[in-house]
Amino acid sequence: MWAKVYSGFGYWDVYIWLLFFGITSALVLWVRSLGRDDYKEGTEQDEIFYGSNEVPEDGDDMGVPAASAYWGFVKALKPYYDSLIEIHSGIASDYVGYFVLTVAVLAVLVLL
Amino acid sequence: MNWQIHLPALVLAIPLLGAFASPIAGLGGRTVRNGWMAFISITTTAVCLLLLQKVLVDGTAVYVMGAENWNFTLPSGLSWPIRIILQVDAFSAFMAAVGSIAALAGAFFSLSYMDKFTGLEKFSALYFLLVTGMLGMQLTGDLFNFFVFLEIASVASFGLIAFWRDRPEAVEASFKYMIISTLSAMFILIAIGFLYGRYNAVNIAAVARMLHMGYAEKIALVFLVVSLTMKSGAVPMHMWTPDAYAEAPAGVTCLLVGVSQASLYGLFRVCFSLYGSSLGSPVIPWTIIVMGVLSMFIGVTMAVIQKEIKRLMAYHSVSQIGYILLALGVGLLALRDPQAMADYGFTAMKGGIFHIINYTMYKGLLFLTAGALYYSAGSRNLNELGGLARVMPYTTLMFVIAAAAIAGIPPFNGFVSKLLIYQSTFAVYPLLAVVALVTSVLTLASFVKVFQTAFLGPAKSKFAKVTEVPGSMLIGMSILTVVIIVLTLFPTWTLAHLVEPAAKALVDQAGYISAVMGGGL
Repeated sequence: MWAKVYSGFGYWDVYIWLLFFGITSALVLWVRSLGRDDYKEGTEQDEIFYGSNEVPEDGDDMGVPAASAYWGFVKALKPYYDSLIEIHSGIASDYVGYFVLTVAVLAVLVLL
Repeated sequence: MNWQIHLPALVLAIPLLGAFASPIAGLGGRTVRNGWMAFISITTTAVCLLLLQKVLVDGTAVYVMGAENWNFTLPSGLSWPIRIILQVDAFSAFMAAVGSIAALAGAFFSLSYMDKFTGLEKFSALYFLLVTGMLGMQLTGDLFNFFVFLEIASVASFGLIAFWRDRPEAVEASFKYMIISTLSAMFILIAIGFLYGRYNAVNIAAVARMLHMGYAEKIALVFLVVSLTMKSGAVPMHMWTPDAYAEAPAGVTCLLVGVSQASLYGLFRVCFSLYGSSLGSPVIPWTIIVMGVLSMFIGVTMAVIQKEIKRLMAYHSVSQIGYILLALGVGLLALRDPQAMADYGFTAMKGGIFHIINYTMYKGLLFLTAGALYYSAGSRNLNELGGLARVMPYTTLMFVIAAAAIAGIPPFNGFVSKLLIYQSTFAVYPLLAVVALVTSVLTLASFVKVFQTAFLGPAKSKFAKVTEVPGSMLIGMSILTVVIIVLTLFPTWTLAHLVEPAAKALVDQAGYISAVMGGGL
């Protein structure tokens, strides 16, 4: 029950990992405790730095929308994504087509 | 008489009773209906777990419907079985237990989630019919009954996906799934017809004992493999999954994850137990491996660009199915070579089967957390959500656990199964492991995006009145969270007591055949 998981190529021990996590967390908390203790909640120390601009009232005006996440990744792979989105047409007859095509290709490979 | 011999039949009878008595329970009002749904779900899960425990202790359970004796598989004078036989080995029982836990969580979640809608007695009737179909596919030892249970599950899912029939998207998703699902069911029926025409039997063990590869068997194999991979949501036939998973109510999506595993179960039962060593050429194993790799990569790259949380998670389902196909494809590749099976094949199979339970638990939980967001915030659009961790702390915590598990972050359970898959597939062809690793990185990136956009960030005024979801929804999510934590903390126990017996049962074709063809005595 408590033993390691052997994969045939190495092993995994969750308890060593948890021990390591615990020691690391203790170290982090210890380092944090060495920091400045003059922080006061509710003062100007609390204020958000928003690129020297005024902080908007509503969170809606300052969040990064999901559509903007990983834009560089998507832009770099634009040809790949263009073809992928084209395949995902949402048309039911296309779904049937891919199914029949897969059956046909695999039938040729298996029967030959 | 020991009542436990009837467990295989009870596993199917209880949810079936639940389905047909739901309209009657609905007459008693909300409390009676909810109580009935909870009672049937708990009882079904308990019976599935008891069956698993019995099979792990006593070996394969065989149950003959309508015979004078429950284990009388071969009537006098006949050399093949003629009655409906339920055949439950460690792999079947494992799959049924996993599916029933997903069904339990989905049912509890639905109690409050669906409360504001009408027609809930129809909802619970369809829900339990879907559970019956899923469990029947996993317990039957008969090809034609597999088809029947597959159709029960399919028809129930059409109704459940389109349950919010005032949403055109839901009706469209259900219609598309109906078309592709019916087509695949016809192919499965034709395949069974081929085998029945050749061997005059539909019992898996009976056909497996006589099977010799000819044209008819090869065509039947192709039809079965392609249809069942489509039903499990593998590329290039995965397009129905984002529509169906996104539009079904969240509790149903959690159950649909389990149902897709039943199709995977059918695929591997066909490949390992029906055809097994008769497979011959490596075309089918490599086809499954290639489908797995494509599913992993295309699924996760499509997920990265999604803005609708349930569609994003649905594409991750495609990706995770890819891991399972890859691992069990490698196991199938090594089936005829004992040295390869010892070196990497069995490790891959353990990784794949462990990934089945991991995937069902964390993916079910992720869909439930997406449902919780929709329930409280009224939106599934990640561009609109934000700052919800402040008001939904329990949902946030459970989302983080599930997201870490699916991304394969140590020490969570997803890491262990992925580690086994990486290392064993690397031994076959290093590129397979590289694709699996890249997929895992992109999975993490995708869920970081969800976490950042839905839960973190500044509070939004439009969500000022949002509160944590009701208790029954939290219970539904907690069930899966607890299972994930148990699998995380006790991977060795899980592998030794649940996964290894299931993997051994799957590769033991002779044992599967003899459980029925030995007369069951």
